[in-house]
Amino acid sequence: MTRAASYEDAVLRVHAYVDGELDPANALGVEASMAADPALAAEHERIDVFRRLVREHLPREEPPLGLRARVEAAVGMRRARMQPSWRALAASIAVTAVVASGATSMLLAPSGTKTAREGIVDDHIRSLMASQPVDVTSSDRHTVKPWFNGRIPQSPRVVDLGKDFPLVGGRIDVVGGTPVPTLVYGHGKHLISLTAVSAAGHANSTPTLSEEGGYNIVRWTEGEVTYWAVSDTSAPELEKFAESFRAAPPDR
Amino acid sequence: MRTANLQDQNELIRASNRPRGRFQIFSGQTGESSGGMGGGEDNHQRFARLVLPHLGDAYSLARWITANRTDAEDIVQEASLRAFRAIASVAEGNSRAWLLTIVCNTAYTWLRNNRPSALVIVDDLEAVERTQVATTDLDRETPETALIAKTDAASLETAVAELPPAYRETLVLRDVQGLGYREISQVTGVPIGTVMSRLARGRARVIKTIGGKSL
Repeated sequence: MTRAASYEDAVLRVHAYVDGELDPANALGVEASMAADPALAAEHERIDVFRRLVREHLPREEPPLGLRARVEAAVGMRRARMQPSWRALAASIAVTAVVASGATSMLLAPSGTKTAREGIVDDHIRSLMASQPVDVTSSDRHTVKPWFNGRIPQSPRVVDLGKDFPLVGGRIDVVGGTPVPTLVYGHGKHLISLTAVSAAGHANSTPTLSEEGGYNIVRWTEGEVTYWAVSDTSAPELEKFAESFRAAPPDR
Repeated sequence: MRTANLQDQNELIRASNRPRGRFQIFSGQTGESSGGMGGGEDNHQRFARLVLPHLGDAYSLARWITANRTDAEDIVQEASLRAFRAIASVAEGNSRAWLLTIVCNTAYTWLRNNRPSALVIVDDLEAVERTQVATTDLDRETPETALIAKTDAASLETAVAELPPAYRETLVLRDVQGLGYREISQVTGVPIGTVMSRLARGRARVIKTIGGKSL
């Protein structure tokens, strides 16, 4: 037993040696014991190989996009505006009335208490706080687009925007009582929600930037669809996203 | 040694309650007496400086403990909230070890409430560590290095995932997340000697598994 115990002790020291936890004097002692005992030398070699394998095969997994935003929301660093102040509410309705003058009546909720803008921002925030910001997770537009088929009347235009704005997936939001498709793209550590709302009969419009509850919003209408891009990424980046999306070739 | 009787299991469950105590060590003088340290810095700024940089480590640890990404995210959120509540009184110093301590605590609380079976299938680790010396894990019967080197990522991950939780968390903290022995001792709430023993045994088990040696 004492013999076994001292061997075990020697093994622990070899591990500590590999891990750089020994002071020079003890390190010298381990080197001497490895020179004297082939079993310890072999243990040293195995630990080295093992650590190399872990470095190669088990890299630290990066947290999912949106976790940081979710944590920030949980501790109140981002306002998840459930009870908007009167001022903000009034202002946002006014802004919406001006900017969205051409938008469909659907964009204003019947009660008038929650604008499409707020609804879309709320959906974005809620998605960040959920365990998954998307209902279908895929970077392949040929997976995401068909997912919408059969769930909602019209599946959205889904385009691949390359590595700057990788496609994360899609989900269905509800705006003004109507289910609408939302695509989620990544951008660095940020997520961008792109909601497509039917705008039959409306003329095309160029992207307009606004801000709601700390989130940037870019909105434009194209092909009788109004697109709302919401994100906490910077305004110029979000505008760049909108331009990339608009410039992308059709998805067929 | 795998057949822990009911009493042992109870002891294990009780032992796994300890993380609650570990947390106390770090947030020790929490109380309501949040002194005005760090002049001008509010709790959110302090949280951003001390906690947010370590979310990646927190997530990684939670995922290895629970073996589930969704659970890991929930645990990180819960642990962050706990960290935020204590943020005013936590001492400067090793904020990563502090956060990981809370994550560890939160994760085991979560497991106890949601998947108690994950905790009781463990060998009676404490007994093994106390009495059984170098008969199974740290013997001289080990696979050839060449066999180990041929393993693939999936086998390695499975072998690590199958370790008893105490070995697994120690190995992951050291080999995946790069913590020193002293930090691991803080996070897991056990003496450094136990950290060393768990690490060596954990590595030995994984090496035997991937080396195809069934002893």
